[in-house]
Amino acid sequence: MMVLLTILSLLLGLACGFYDVQNSVITLISGNTDLILYLLMFSVGISIGMHKGIVQKMKEYHIRIFIIPIGIIAGSLLGGVLCSLLVHIPVAQGTAIASGMGWYSLAGSTIGNIAGAQLGSVAFLSNLMREIFSFFIIPFLALKCNNYTCIAPAGATSEDTTLPMILKYTNEETVVLSVLNGIICSFFVPILISFCLGFA
Amino acid sequence: MDILIVMCVGILIGKFLVPKKAKTANEYLSLLSTFLLIFAMGVTLGSDDNFFAELSALGITSFLFFLIPTVLSILLVYLLTRHFMQKKDSDAQGRAEKK
Repeated sequence: MMVLLTILSLLLGLACGFYDVQNSVITLISGNTDLILYLLMFSVGISIGMHKGIVQKMKEYHIRIFIIPIGIIAGSLLGGVLCSLLVHIPVAQGTAIASGMGWYSLAGSTIGNIAGAQLGSVAFLSNLMREIFSFFIIPFLALKCNNYTCIAPAGATSEDTTLPMILKYTNEETVVLSVLNGIICSFFVPILISFCLGFA
Repeated sequence: MDILIVMCVGILIGKFLVPKKAKTANEYLSLLSTFLLIFAMGVTLGSDDNFFAELSALGITSFLFFLIPTVLSILLVYLLTRHFMQKKDSDAQGRAEKK
């Protein structure tokens, strides 16, 4: 049901944008995405706050909170290397695209500025796909793998847009790990892109 | 940074002020915000004249750059967490089952 509503929201938005549908509600929604994101984070905060013993659980994880971001960053970079070999582009460019980890706006614009519009478009689209497909992959991973793995497809978006999906299909403990992962991955996205393109 | 401040305010309010019975209403609020954000993203993408042209021209390459890094991230995180964190997970599940 959640996945279906997600697809519907996206398709409805695409149709409204494509056919240039204008009304006050659409303008209100698309003009206030920052406020909606604040509302979302506030609501996620309430969920975490209502969950007892979460701070103690985080203390128990200690250094292991870095395991998930390490896996995501290493997997993304490795994937970037494989993709560059498959589509015959320099490895430095391939790893830069994969370093976006779902943060399509930043990856698209920075790579576009440094390495050209075509590579920027691939970075934008592939990272956008990562964010969108995460909505559909997370419920599957929650069933077939473990709660932690649900954070992996989300990458850098696990602290905001994909967070409610993780909250819906896992638990508050995983949500806190997801926020921490999102912060760490988001911190590394611009660093990794600059570092990788430095070798191009 | 500001979204983290908002979330921390939410945590404090959730911990001290929100009654337990409001849990479901709060879940609906987060779902509604998510759908609105996705809808707004769709509006932005749909109104971009180049979006559909780029999607058809660079779609397959972009799909590969989405698919392989994502699958490898999933695989690595699964293996790493199964090895280093799974015990906690199964403990938590065990506790949940006892309740």
